[in-house]
Amino acid sequence: MEVKILSAKFDIKDAHMLEVAKQHGAYSQLDKLFSMEPVAVIEEVKNSGLRGRGGAGFPAGLKWSFLPKGLNKPVYLTVNSDESEPATFKDRYILVRDPHMMIEGIIICCYAIGCHDAYIYIRGEYTSQVKALQKAIDEAYAAGYLGEKVAGHDFKLDVTVHRGAGAYICGEETALLESIEGKKGQPRSKPPFPAVEGLYGCPTIINNVQTIASLPYIIENGAAAYKQYGTEKSPGTHLFGISGHVNKPGMYELPLGLPILDVIEKVAGGVLNGKKLKAIIPGGSSTPVQTPEDAKDLTLDYESMAAHKTMFGSGGIVVLDETVDIVKLVENLAQFYHHESCGQCTPCREGLGWILKIVKKILRGDGTSADIDLLVELCDNIEMKTVCVLSAACTMPVRSYLIKFRHEFEAYVKKGASAQANVKQG
Amino acid sequence: MDELIMVKINGMDVHFPKGKTILEVCKDAGIYIPTLCYDERLKPHGGCRLCLVEIKGKPVPLTSCTTPGEAGMEISTESPKLTRLRKTILELLLSNHPNDCMVCEASGDCSLREMAYLYGASLDRFQGEKWNLPIREDNPFITFEPNKCIACGRCTRICNEVVMAGTIDLVNRGFNAIPETAFAKPRSLKNCEFCGQCVSTCPTGALTDKKGRGKGRAGDIKKVKTTCTYCGTGCNFFLNVRNDRVVRVTSDFEAPVNKGNLCIKGRYGYDFIHSDERIKTPLIREGEGFREASWDEALSLVAGRFNAIIKEHGPDKVGGFSSSRCSNEENYLLAKWVRCAVGSNNVDNCARVCHAPTVAGLAQSFGAGAATNSLEQMSDIDTIFIIGSNTTEAHPIVSLYLKKAISKGAKVVVADPRKIWLAQRADVWLNMKPGSNIALINGIIHVILKNGWESKEFIKTRTEGFAELKAKVEEYDLDRVEKLTGVSRDKIIEAARLYSQAEKSMIVYGLGITEHLTGTENSMATANLALVCGQVGRPSTGIMALRGQNNVQGASDLGPLPATLPGYQSVTDPKCREKFGKAWGVTIKDKPGLKSVEMLDECAKGNFKALYILGEDPAHTDPDLHHIRKALDKIDFLVVQDIFPTETTKYAHVILPGASFAEKDGTFTNGERRVQRIRKAVGPVAGLADWEVLCKVSTLMGYPMPYTHPSQIMDEIATLVPAYGGISYKRIEKKGIQWPCPTKDHPGTTTLYTETFARPSGLALFMVLDHVGSGEVPDETYPLVLITGRVREHYNNGSQTRHAVGIIDLVPEELVEISPEDAQSLGIKNLDWVKVLSRRGEIKVRAKVTKRSQTGNVFMSFHHQSTLTNVLTSGHRCRISGTPEYKSCAVRIEQLSQE
Amino acid sequence: MSDRSKLIVTGKPFRFDQERDAEFERLVKRYPTRESMILPALWLTQEQEGWISAEAIAYIADRIGTFASQVFECATFYTMYNLHPMGRNHICICRTLSCWLRGKQEIVDYLKNELGLKPGEIGADGKFSLEEVECLGHCGTAPVVQVNGEFHESMDVDKLKSLLATLK
Repeated sequence: MEVKILSAKFDIKDAHMLEVAKQHGAYSQLDKLFSMEPVAVIEEVKNSGLRGRGGAGFPAGLKWSFLPKGLNKPVYLTVNSDESEPATFKDRYILVRDPHMMIEGIIICCYAIGCHDAYIYIRGEYTSQVKALQKAIDEAYAAGYLGEKVAGHDFKLDVTVHRGAGAYICGEETALLESIEGKKGQPRSKPPFPAVEGLYGCPTIINNVQTIASLPYIIENGAAAYKQYGTEKSPGTHLFGISGHVNKPGMYELPLGLPILDVIEKVAGGVLNGKKLKAIIPGGSSTPVQTPEDAKDLTLDYESMAAHKTMFGSGGIVVLDETVDIVKLVENLAQFYHHESCGQCTPCREGLGWILKIVKKILRGDGTSADIDLLVELCDNIEMKTVCVLSAACTMPVRSYLIKFRHEFEAYVKKGASAQANVKQG
Repeated sequence: MDELIMVKINGMDVHFPKGKTILEVCKDAGIYIPTLCYDERLKPHGGCRLCLVEIKGKPVPLTSCTTPGEAGMEISTESPKLTRLRKTILELLLSNHPNDCMVCEASGDCSLREMAYLYGASLDRFQGEKWNLPIREDNPFITFEPNKCIACGRCTRICNEVVMAGTIDLVNRGFNAIPETAFAKPRSLKNCEFCGQCVSTCPTGALTDKKGRGKGRAGDIKKVKTTCTYCGTGCNFFLNVRNDRVVRVTSDFEAPVNKGNLCIKGRYGYDFIHSDERIKTPLIREGEGFREASWDEALSLVAGRFNAIIKEHGPDKVGGFSSSRCSNEENYLLAKWVRCAVGSNNVDNCARVCHAPTVAGLAQSFGAGAATNSLEQMSDIDTIFIIGSNTTEAHPIVSLYLKKAISKGAKVVVADPRKIWLAQRADVWLNMKPGSNIALINGIIHVILKNGWESKEFIKTRTEGFAELKAKVEEYDLDRVEKLTGVSRDKIIEAARLYSQAEKSMIVYGLGITEHLTGTENSMATANLALVCGQVGRPSTGIMALRGQNNVQGASDLGPLPATLPGYQSVTDPKCREKFGKAWGVTIKDKPGLKSVEMLDECAKGNFKALYILGEDPAHTDPDLHHIRKALDKIDFLVVQDIFPTETTKYAHVILPGASFAEKDGTFTNGERRVQRIRKAVGPVAGLADWEVLCKVSTLMGYPMPYTHPSQIMDEIATLVPAYGGISYKRIEKKGIQWPCPTKDHPGTTTLYTETFARPSGLALFMVLDHVGSGEVPDETYPLVLITGRVREHYNNGSQTRHAVGIIDLVPEELVEISPEDAQSLGIKNLDWVKVLSRRGEIKVRAKVTKRSQTGNVFMSFHHQSTLTNVLTSGHRCRISGTPEYKSCAVRIEQLSQE
Repeated sequence: MSDRSKLIVTGKPFRFDQERDAEFERLVKRYPTRESMILPALWLTQEQEGWISAEAIAYIADRIGTFASQVFECATFYTMYNLHPMGRNHICICRTLSCWLRGKQEIVDYLKNELGLKPGEIGADGKFSLEEVECLGHCGTAPVVQVNGEFHESMDVDKLKSLLATLK
């Protein structure tokens, strides 16, 4: 099932080093690139159908074409390497094992959009990865792939690594921009969209690492070759991270469109220790949960996910076996999102805390059925009522657990009620 | 005209100009949308989420504060779904709120409480632990109750976006976010401007005015809308009155100039009104001291003595000083009193010692001596040229407009010998030597002409005298200008480019232009620059002379000037004399009277006999105090009317109690020519307002002034002063009008000279000016230049601000600002006691070592009675207007042994 | 999340060492505004000192030319900035989803017991500090532990024992 496009060099020893990477084709597309018109590059990417790999799945080429023309302002590229969505760990492989593929992608993108200053926003937790990335960039500068004349062509490009410092919200693209500007990561109201008014008030393209890293392949082999993989509407391959209760967790590059149950079984070695499958989180912690029943005809592409009222997300698949306590899992998630709320919007800042409080109350055995209803109602009154989607990233999955596993919440309520009754009787 | 577009709101058609947000459209249409994080003064935030509205075709509700209205939208501002949503948001907020409305300072003025009520939020839906943080009292003016904070971020945003003070920011993340000063330490208040903008925007009781706590809440107080009595910006606010006492000042968000913003003086400088030290009864000199007297006795004495002296020495030995602190009506009355009851032209006002050069200079260049544009237009300037104005301190609210322009990307040129706040943020800081204004501006014009950056069309069609100007500035090549000004040529060229090449450039100046030997010429120089570039006669261009006092514009407008009658109508013009003579029933003398400084000169010589000083303190604020004291000592009869005992009242024969701005009705005219109301909020301390006293004195002297209300005085002004022709109390009840307003249906004038200038030819006149320099320059004995000016916290002689709790604690004493280099060479450390000496006297003061001062320059204010800075200043005066050279005198500093 | 507003005043002036100074100057040229240097400067400080003091925040504000409140705001918003000294071995255990599923609690319990520390605490001898953190992005090799920034993947108690033995 696996294919090796993005991950082609992942298993080659020292492919992160420029010399080795070059032997395997890194930076080989630059002459071709600079012989093309930037518009033609954008067209090629548009034709490839490449969709943003950060979670939202917005077509990359289309995004680039939103940049206003003829403005007397610089254009910026920021590469989103904040991957902090729980269960997501794909970009890290690119950063560490094949950073030059991404740098080449950055050059392609910047040439296409007319950008001369790119920033890579990397999450602060990626300590060793930051160093590896910076080393690769230094190598690229030394070899003349970055700087005043990229690969000897009349094109200047600076690439700067900007390190986050522990804030999930900075994966949200406008919070990320705020963070580069030296502010706390609070998302901006849109419109204006970053393509029009982004970093430092200038037109800005924000793409995920994997999106950018896909570009050299597209330039080398053409849109048609890329579209061979995947489905019609979700072309190409994706780095899927499979974690949780499977025998072979890890990162796998797969074409889009494969059945999720097959992938769990055949790629990830099936449910850990032969236990029964309870549920699947299909695309990172913020995507609504799927029961085995739901997942029967679920395939790994944007359309099928949407049809199943869940999301492709970041391709982080989490497998839950029969032993998982869903209420505790919701507590774990709510804790995460509460901790990461930036505090800007009232419903998120206050509401996520209350979701956590109520779940804890239910876990303590102090909850009532009304509390479960209140949780659902809170989800309804928070979701999509905030500047960004962080609150929805919490409420969408939480609601799915409340609906699909309500009996587990009820069980805690009942257990608590009878325990209290016993105390009273005793 | 902006394109009008239409939306449907709650089924109703609403039309509005493109570019407004849905919230703004609804506000204009009177449709209520709840908000907690919104403040018109701030960029939309979209954080509280209460203003969500439903728009047909949109999958989710959108925040009306951030969503622009688009043609054809169908908007619902209320629905069961929105109500549920808003109720939940409010309940979440209340879940961690003390809900102690019974004792909360903000009760009755709390948006959270109001909205909780409107949407029926329940207090017990979410019950759990609440914050229990201690109340913070670090700030002398502001109490912070963190438990009441709803993290809307308005306070931190206004502090950073609007005031740009950077005092507070939100610390921590998410649920724990709370406004804090840097390091969470009180000492970080050093950035704080104590303007209370944060308090004014707080939607709950989290931030409240400390001084007003416990003295009456929204429901218990009467709010009296009035105009600030400090600088010439003309801010409006509400005096909060309870039991005949002003207990607080609160923002008037409708105010045309300040939009609810105030500075430390406006918001917290009110308690002088009820100070125990106020003069409460008339006082009559008895030996070395004074005895209390009744109004009848005092006023009979005043009227009798004036009449006797006039009879004995003639009216030309008698005069009056009017005050920019007093109302238009009072200034008009004093001008009338001198002309009618006394019979001389010896009347002047304190603009003489500040902005007389503006009146004289701009009148010659443009035709009228006033600021050309409106303050509000400042936020749209492309290049700001600030010369001789420390705007952020002397005119904090004006500076907010400049800050807004800066945040919108305006270029900033600052010409100032001191590295003031604006200079630190300027694109070009022209660090000129004091007194080199003309050389600098001639040099800039030289560069402009050399590069062809002038506006040839404007020069051709709107001006005269260009050839002469061109010939003159030809002499000011940059080699020479560098030498004269001390500013490097690159900076001069860049300033010339930024000013001339921008679409809209405005010159903003203050007393750094006027208080010089060449004050009037300096102001003409700024006019030359504006004219060369065609940067006048359009919005966001022109020259804004920032007036220092609340009513310095009005005082000049309404006649207490020796050469002109109200409305700048000359006493030498027979037509004007006839007009006023007829209206007032007297014969107006055709010879201009003496300027205030000349009257004092004559006093010192023993030639001047009697003087009525209304609300002025020359013995503190005039330069060369030894001379002033001598003059006041010699006078036969001196009446001083003031609200506090001052240096000048010490010399009075009769002291009459004045009424503060809070104790009388009237009008002030601000620096942008806006005539605005002041209103009586509490009774006059001594029972009579100043205008009533003047009427009584005049009547007793035999010239009846039978006015029963100041509005009648304004009606009389309207008939005599063309620019005020359309002004009446009725018309300015809600919002002041900018003169010229010639008729009852004229809307007032925001921008002067859009078509023609006010000179007889309709053209502006270039003035040929030469560098002269300062009257007194440093030498070996007195090697430093002393510049005087204001600090933000205090005002003029300080009699009001020194009586304001908090302000006097904040800035209790005078400090002389000295550069680190000079301090080092003199062996002076920060806060050391030093002696400052000039040719005229010496004073003891502590030193503040600061990079704000350039080497060779030192700075002092004259706000403190304990340190009379003007002992040092010189007797040099503007050659045309007589305004003293406060901005430059030679001094020496000696270190005092540390005791 | 706890209150991070209480900074430590060391009473000693702070400044970048030569290496950090050079790095600051290299980076500052990369951004059109100096404020963008707030996060990088905080990192440089933390690299140099291990944590960020009140003096360091004042220094950064001054160096950048911005308000201390803005630096303070960032330092308290971003939770990876240490606002007090940590143990010589700062151990972070990922607490989120995949690590939770794969037994992070055993790791925490073992460390609690072994080191006598609760998450959030620093040992009296300064050797260890313990912290439970949100997702570290190593979900495929859960549970993961980070010691002084170095990742240790697919942890179990045995591996932890040998890891602890190597720490000084």
